Amino acid sequence: MSANIDHLKEEHHQPSGLMRWITTTNHKDIGSLYLWFSLLMFFVGGLMALVIRAELFQPGLQFVVPGFFNQMTTMHALIMIFGAVMPAFVGLANWQLPMMIGAPDMALPRLNNWSFWILPFAFTMLLSTLFFESGGPAAGWTLYPPLSLQGGNSMPFVIFSLHLLGASSILGAINVIATILNMRAPGMTLMKMPIFVWTWLITAFLLIASMPVLAGAITMLLTDRFYGTSFFTAAGGGDPVLFQHIFWFFGHPEVYILILPAFGIVSTIIPAFSRKKLFGYDSMVYATASIALLSFIVWAHHMFTVGMPLAGEIFFMFTTMLIAVPTGVKVFNWVATMWKGSMTFETPMLFALAFIILFTIGGFSGLMLAITPADFQYHDTYFVVAHFHYVLVPGAVFAIIAAVYYWLPKWTGKMYNETLGKIHFWMTTIFVNITFFPMHFVGLAGMPRRIPDYAVQFTDFNMIASVGAFGFGLSQLLFVYILFLTLRQPVTAADKSWEGAEGLEWTLPSPAPYHSFDTPPKVD
Amino acid sequence: MTGIKSTITKLSLAVVAMYGFSYALVPIYDTFCEITGLNGKTNEVAYVANDIKEDNRFVTVKFISNVANSAPLYFEPSVSEMTVQVGKPYNTHYVMKNNSSKQLHTTASPSVTPGKHAEYFKKIECFCFNQQTINAGEVKDLGIQFIIDNELPNDSGDIVLSYTMFDISNNIKETNKL
Repeated sequence: MSANIDHLKEEHHQPSGLMRWITTTNHKDIGSLYLWFSLLMFFVGGLMALVIRAELFQPGLQFVVPGFFNQMTTMHALIMIFGAVMPAFVGLANWQLPMMIGAPDMALPRLNNWSFWILPFAFTMLLSTLFFESGGPAAGWTLYPPLSLQGGNSMPFVIFSLHLLGASSILGAINVIATILNMRAPGMTLMKMPIFVWTWLITAFLLIASMPVLAGAITMLLTDRFYGTSFFTAAGGGDPVLFQHIFWFFGHPEVYILILPAFGIVSTIIPAFSRKKLFGYDSMVYATASIALLSFIVWAHHMFTVGMPLAGEIFFMFTTMLIAVPTGVKVFNWVATMWKGSMTFETPMLFALAFIILFTIGGFSGLMLAITPADFQYHDTYFVVAHFHYVLVPGAVFAIIAAVYYWLPKWTGKMYNETLGKIHFWMTTIFVNITFFPMHFVGLAGMPRRIPDYAVQFTDFNMIASVGAFGFGLSQLLFVYILFLTLRQPVTAADKSWEGAEGLEWTLPSPAPYHSFDTPPKVD
Repeated sequence: MTGIKSTITKLSLAVVAMYGFSYALVPIYDTFCEITGLNGKTNEVAYVANDIKEDNRFVTVKFISNVANSAPLYFEPSVSEMTVQVGKPYNTHYVMKNNSSKQLHTTASPSVTPGKHAEYFKKIECFCFNQQTINAGEVKDLGIQFIIDNELPNDSGDIVLSYTMFDISNNIKETNKL
């Protein structure tokens, strides 16, 4: 056994430079790769958002032609979902899961390497379509036929890159489940797992159940376009609405894939800075599982206006509203955790608190959209854009930023500058609201989404939103600067960087050693 | 390690099963539409009239037409509206003209509104059962024979029959190449 451990320690003799990162099978290296890649994609997708907001600053056509505008909305969504948010969560899982459950590494290290290295190729292919003569995909990230079947030559490239991204996610999910189910420290029963581990376990099952359905849907699109099948072409007896059903059968679980790990992060950070245990741990686990199960029976609320039988509309309306119950359980549990806690407001806590408030706003606008008769007014307007940006930006993205601030001292052994962190928080929070709140108003007034031009009465709110978007983008440069400053410091952080933090990762030295737990810790 | 292997095997099977499920959704959706009358799908093969009895109710059938993707076709019903007796077969036709300078292959897809009454609109004969070949500049009459089932509920209003005509020349060429 001891020889085995010596051997593990000697593994530091590894290729240096670029080859280290290409050949690495270490969960921390791969976690870092995922996180850096996600940050890069966040800025690429962000630039596209700024093209959109610059064009929408005034009515009329200013900077780009409508075709390119549509490519920007499509690509912005694909990149932010598959390139920024999902890889960031996988990166956090890679870094944290082995440390949190007391394992030396992930269960399938080589598969882990492959999961990551698929991504740069997939995104190179996806982004390269922007340089095609016929341009990139412009039919929206949902790729609805018949429009997506009529697009330019980018279509097979987009579909193949989505296949690759799906494969990467599925491999990552298999790895996460194999790790959590088989490599927990002795004594750590399922109901003793840290809540972040629980949310990731459930997310991984969602990925396994939903990503293959997306693969199927886009394969059908591909064969419709190139191999003469008629799944969705009405000329051959197919039905374009069928695509919407299959797509959203994937798409709705997908939106929970984008938020459940965020719930886990917030459920970790709120207790740490309230210096109390998480209120209602068991109910948090069951709420997460209920949300995941419900996500498979609500998909048609994305398509209320497509022409459904009344019974269908009522079914999907009520199941959708039902999701508010477990989500409400979570929100109240977070509030109850803070109740009479001795709270402090360091940067991770600030982001987690903003998450609770702003995500709940997004949740409420979601409830409004769930009301079928009202949805006929909201459908495909900026109200929808406001809704899903509230749950994704101050939701998922804030949770990711909070997680980075929270675990950065553990990862690097270095503490970020708290003052700058707080400035980053306030700028981000103020600008995110300036950007997305006015979209509720223009949406309710009837401004449709995915258009490069609009009626003049929407100008004022659009100008405000555009100013906010540029402010938000610039604030994230401050985030990069804070990371840069932190990494340049000497190692000073304590093993347990936060007074109230709990979990096995804080029993390790800071920075965390290359192999997390050579001998499994005992959990009682 | 055996634990990890069995986890991987089970999860891989789940992935394959869910991929299969995405294809299974196609027939499930069709069955669902048939049961609920969604999309106003009508019979796809000729109906053989036997047990439909004439009754003394009359309904108005309206005919409309669409040409998909701005194909170079003129496609219109010969009459836009007929008042028909329930249970009695009727004939009418659509007129199609090829405005291009090439031979075209076309196919039409029918739809009845309101969807829940689609099952009572029976087509005994219809050009939509076959594909059409139409020469440059040619004008064709495309016939339909239909009958309204006497099971039609009493509260029904007008019935609208819509055809969308597709130019499928390119698809046919591509399929032949493969």
